[in-house]
Amino acid sequence: MKEIVILSGKGGVGKSSLTAALAHLLTEKGTRLTLADTDVDAPNLHIVLEAEFDRSTSVTASDKAMIDYEKCSRCMRCVDACAFESIIGDKKPIIISYSCEGCGVCALVCPEEAVSIHPVENGKINFVTSGAVRVVAGELGIGESSSGRLVDIVKREARQEASLSGSDLLLTDGPPGIGCPVIAALKGSDYAILVTEPTPSALSDLQRITEVVRGVGIPAGAVLNRSDMDQKSASTTLDWLARNDVPLLGTIPYDPYLPKALARGALAVNMYPDAPSSLALRNLHKMVEGLFD
Amino acid sequence: MKLHPEIIKHFHSTTFTTPIIGVTGGKGGVGKSTVAVNLAAAFVAQGRRVALIDADVDAPNDSLLLGIPLENPEPVTIMQPIFDLEKCTDCRKCVKACQMNSLFRPQAKHITLMGECNGCEACYLVCPAEAINRGSHSVGTLYKSEQGKLTLYTGALQPGLAESALVVNAVRDAAFAEADQFDIILVDTAPGTHCNVISALKGADHVLAVTEPTPLGSHDLELILSLLEMFAMQRSVVINRSDLPGKKEKVQQAAQASSAPIAGEIKLDKDLLAGYLQGTPVVDLLPNSSAAKIFLKMADHLTATYPNRSKQASQGVS
Repeated sequence: MKEIVILSGKGGVGKSSLTAALAHLLTEKGTRLTLADTDVDAPNLHIVLEAEFDRSTSVTASDKAMIDYEKCSRCMRCVDACAFESIIGDKKPIIISYSCEGCGVCALVCPEEAVSIHPVENGKINFVTSGAVRVVAGELGIGESSSGRLVDIVKREARQEASLSGSDLLLTDGPPGIGCPVIAALKGSDYAILVTEPTPSALSDLQRITEVVRGVGIPAGAVLNRSDMDQKSASTTLDWLARNDVPLLGTIPYDPYLPKALARGALAVNMYPDAPSSLALRNLHKMVEGLFD
Repeated sequence: MKLHPEIIKHFHSTTFTTPIIGVTGGKGGVGKSTVAVNLAAAFVAQGRRVALIDADVDAPNDSLLLGIPLENPEPVTIMQPIFDLEKCTDCRKCVKACQMNSLFRPQAKHITLMGECNGCEACYLVCPAEAINRGSHSVGTLYKSEQGKLTLYTGALQPGLAESALVVNAVRDAAFAEADQFDIILVDTAPGTHCNVISALKGADHVLAVTEPTPLGSHDLELILSLLEMFAMQRSVVINRSDLPGKKEKVQQAAQASSAPIAGEIKLDKDLLAGYLQGTPVVDLLPNSSAAKIFLKMADHLTATYPNRSKQASQGVS
């Protein structure tokens, strides 16, 4: 089984829409695949796919400090020792759980052994189905931290799901950015598809994500979405890709049918098979098929 | 997540009275940065001294959208252990103390730092032989770029590292340290509802949640509004690309359910896109365009509502 991850650096360039469309086209041609939604802050793949909910499990992927106030002598050493400014208070130390890294320094400096580190629930994993495709989606609790560790668990569960169902491919919809959840989504993948659009901002983010992907040593190719949005930016992006040996997997023109289909909770490739973006996606899907054949 | 009242009070407390306006949105690509840079330009047009904090340290783009080059780089560093192998007694207490599991001491080899280190100093604290020295390691860069009355503070995470949170705190603190020089502070956050978004919005008097009328937009708006409610933040909603063929009612319902008024609606606009591509806010590029007028109006409204942080706000809400 091959693993492909879809990333972009920038948010909103079309990762989820591309993941959903590719999944649809690949299954249509008989590829057995499992999807992982690792945008744990804003898991949206199930909406784009109109998926049906199966089950959900809560996840404990975060460690937090806790204070036993019976034992606490209010010496406040923990407040001074915390490198993350996650303990506050003048008279009584209070742990700011959302920024606590669970590093345990507060417990180490406490003379009363009043502080301990406990694993806490920070999100859940939703298992959903869209036609023949199983989707494993992570969902971080609002305001929670440790999204990277949650992504690790989503990928582990998705791999298990994929091997149980005999999938040929695990396709992962990545989170935006270049930080810890992105690195977690990327780990163990065979190939990264980098989605971008012809704007100076998207190019800057593409350059940053390319650096991350190269750093981990995973081969990557790019997809230029809304390719006809701006001619000048498009050629700047294509030049950059060529000069940096990032293969262009395909371009997808801006297509008013896309939001139209999304508004109805449907896929444009399905609803408007002859729309410009649908035709471009069909070409792209052949390239993607070639990646794991 | 249930918050202790002291945490909410701490979250809202600052040492200065300059008002802070946050721009966030849950989802990526809805136009957070477009709103942030145009509001910054609108405040400058009103004659105000503006600090804009680009706290999307994974993908900072405000400098590109403003056409201001990044200047005055300063490294963001964290402590990283350096082992004095002469002094090391091989007790492995540091290995045990490291919650990140970043320290290894393979058979017949020396102790080494192999994984992510978040600079917590647990290893340094537990070493009985004083064999660990405090080294420093750069995780990102801060930039301070000035253009007339606008000062842009940008944080940029070093690609390949995971320490976004530390860079967010560093860029926010850098701007807050000079808060008295400004009439208003704007903060542009990363997408999502995680701890980095919260850290970026620390002290905000009002937060604009930018969204678009798509099923994804309304879903993510609900999430971000819940987060703002949790931290007792004043909030309103900006509907971008309001004429997309989606369901605007869903967005309006989410806003209403969270008692967040609609602060503005921005249609798909070629002038706005031109400014975005050119690296000039539409407020400066075409001040008489309908898109520019929306931002100028929003800026007027915000300055009228938040002339300065109230005494209550600066001391925290009780």
